[in-house]
Amino acid sequence: MKITIKLFASLRRGRFKSEQWDVPEGSTVELVFDRLGLQPRDVSILRVNGRDVADGQVLGAGDIVTLFPPLGGG
Amino acid sequence: MDTDLRRYQRNQRSISHEDQEKLLRSSAAVIGCGGLGGYIAEELARLGVGRLILFDGDRFEVTNLNRQILATEATLGQWKVEAARKRLQAVNSSIQVACIRDWFQEETADTHLQGVNIVFDALDSIPARLALERTSHHLGIPLVFASIAGWFGLLGVSLPGDNSVKKLFGRQAQERRGVEASWGNPAFTPAVVASMAVAEGVKVLTGREISLHRSWLHVDLLAMEFERFEILD
Repeated sequence: MKITIKLFASLRRGRFKSEQWDVPEGSTVELVFDRLGLQPRDVSILRVNGRDVADGQVLGAGDIVTLFPPLGGG
Repeated sequence: MDTDLRRYQRNQRSISHEDQEKLLRSSAAVIGCGGLGGYIAEELARLGVGRLILFDGDRFEVTNLNRQILATEATLGQWKVEAARKRLQAVNSSIQVACIRDWFQEETADTHLQGVNIVFDALDSIPARLALERTSHHLGIPLVFASIAGWFGLLGVSLPGDNSVKKLFGRQAQERRGVEASWGNPAFTPAVVASMAVAEGVKVLTGREISLHRSWLHVDLLAMEFERFEILD
């Protein structure tokens, strides 16, 4: 099934802004983290189709997965 | 109150006379007087927000000079809130500036924030931000939250009950720092994000429609992209 991955801010460095991936049915957001080489602590906001999701979320065809890094400075 | 309102004349139609009067009667707390907080305090003073309460438990050091508007070679070693007060009173002596020479603490903040109309988050710690939202909302005070890292930033407005900061940073509740630990903070990022935070704050104080309520603006100065995202329940 096809999903779209959108990255923001520093997560784009050495990666991409937006990509479409073909992933096996039943894949979870962990597959996205693994393929991107990211740890849970690297991502502050994790959304699927504009909604916050928890780790372990199962993805569906056409889902848009959006990831933001933590921006904590002042 | 300022008897010579000519200093606000160039706000003209952007801020009506009536809205200017609201700002003069308003009280704002700025939590953190570093990169974001320095610009926020400066702009609030120029806008004529009548009473400012500044929080910061730090002194200026040489690594602040790249981005903190109140850090100069002359203010190195000074308490940030004291340097801020001097600067703000030099800009606008008709406003009151109170200084809290301490870090924001949930346990003691209640007394300092009583009667405040708006709180500006200019903190540099994610757990402290979450605590600030809890405190502000407990007191029924709107919060303008903002954070920066490298070329990037985000900001929004959290009204009591929204818990926007908790929703945005909840995954990172135990992590003190974000990617700023490796990307740093260059001069332009706090200036841009702080100005946007103040623009939203003026809307809150004057009763205008808030653009970033239950949402946040993602700021990317590397790609020059600005995108607004909804914060859903």
